[in-house]
Amino acid sequence: MAKYQIDELDRKIMELLSEDARLSNRNIAQSLSVTEGTVRSRVKRLENESYIRITAVTNMGLLDKPQLVYIGIHAEQSMIKQVAAEIAEFDEVNAVIILLGRFDILAIGLFSDLQELQSVVSDKLLALAGVRHIETTVVVSIAKYNNRLAKIIAPQIR
Amino acid sequence: MTEFQFSDLDRKIIDILKKDGRASNQNIANKLGVTTSVVATRIRRMSNAKAMKIIAVADFSAFNYNVLLPIGVDVKGRRASDVAEDLAKVEQVSSVQICAGKHDIELLVALENMDELHDLLLNNLSQVKGVRSLDPAIAVEIVKFNFDVAPV
Repeated sequence: MAKYQIDELDRKIMELLSEDARLSNRNIAQSLSVTEGTVRSRVKRLENESYIRITAVTNMGLLDKPQLVYIGIHAEQSMIKQVAAEIAEFDEVNAVIILLGRFDILAIGLFSDLQELQSVVSDKLLALAGVRHIETTVVVSIAKYNNRLAKIIAPQIR
Repeated sequence: MTEFQFSDLDRKIIDILKKDGRASNQNIANKLGVTTSVVATRIRRMSNAKAMKIIAVADFSAFNYNVLLPIGVDVKGRRASDVAEDLAKVEQVSSVQICAGKHDIELLVALENMDELHDLLLNNLSQVKGVRSLDPAIAVEIVKFNFDVAPV
């Protein structure tokens, strides 16, 4: 099924919601000079088509797990998809991306400290069948972070 | 860093909002057995302290970004933080992180198509002063992408 193609109005609504998603439909309607009903149906469609997800984003500096880490995984070529799916099951891992070049799988996660990182990497990841080698990179500081963009994988079944 | 601490109630409110960012205060209050004004106050307090914000996160495809590249950057002859600052100015660069690991800086770049890659790498990123080498990779499949945390 062809995905709905978003237009200029959708983009303007997304722009406003990416600043503050608690804005009321009426507020959005007023600033874009459209009806409240239009805004409501547009937001609904954007959500249904997985173009946006409205969520609470918490400040990682205030979390119990503030340490952001990139984990590069080299895997057996025939098992890349399987390994990626298994890694995606770990709660500590926020993102799993299959790559060409550098390594086969990039996992990005948040950890409470280096001990926890080490235990996940050596006890859990290296123990998976098909994992050949792991390179970890610890994020020291963040110069830019665009949290308005993500890959929305729908439906989110939990 | 602020001294803000999440209370148990804050965490419960966040859990509900993570699932549905447009849940009304009334709705949240009913679920948690507190008053609407308590919910409103808590949300305001967290927002003011920049501990949390409720936003719409857009899919890469909503902006026609079809190509995602994690790029490792090695730095030479210049402070990594200064190089990172310049790299952050490049529009297609969606995140810049200074790292301890194989590379000094990690970038996440989003492009509309592969044709842009050549220009971005050769004429843009590699021209930033202090960039010694770039180690790019191309995302072929995003299996999981769950980023509801950020430096707010």
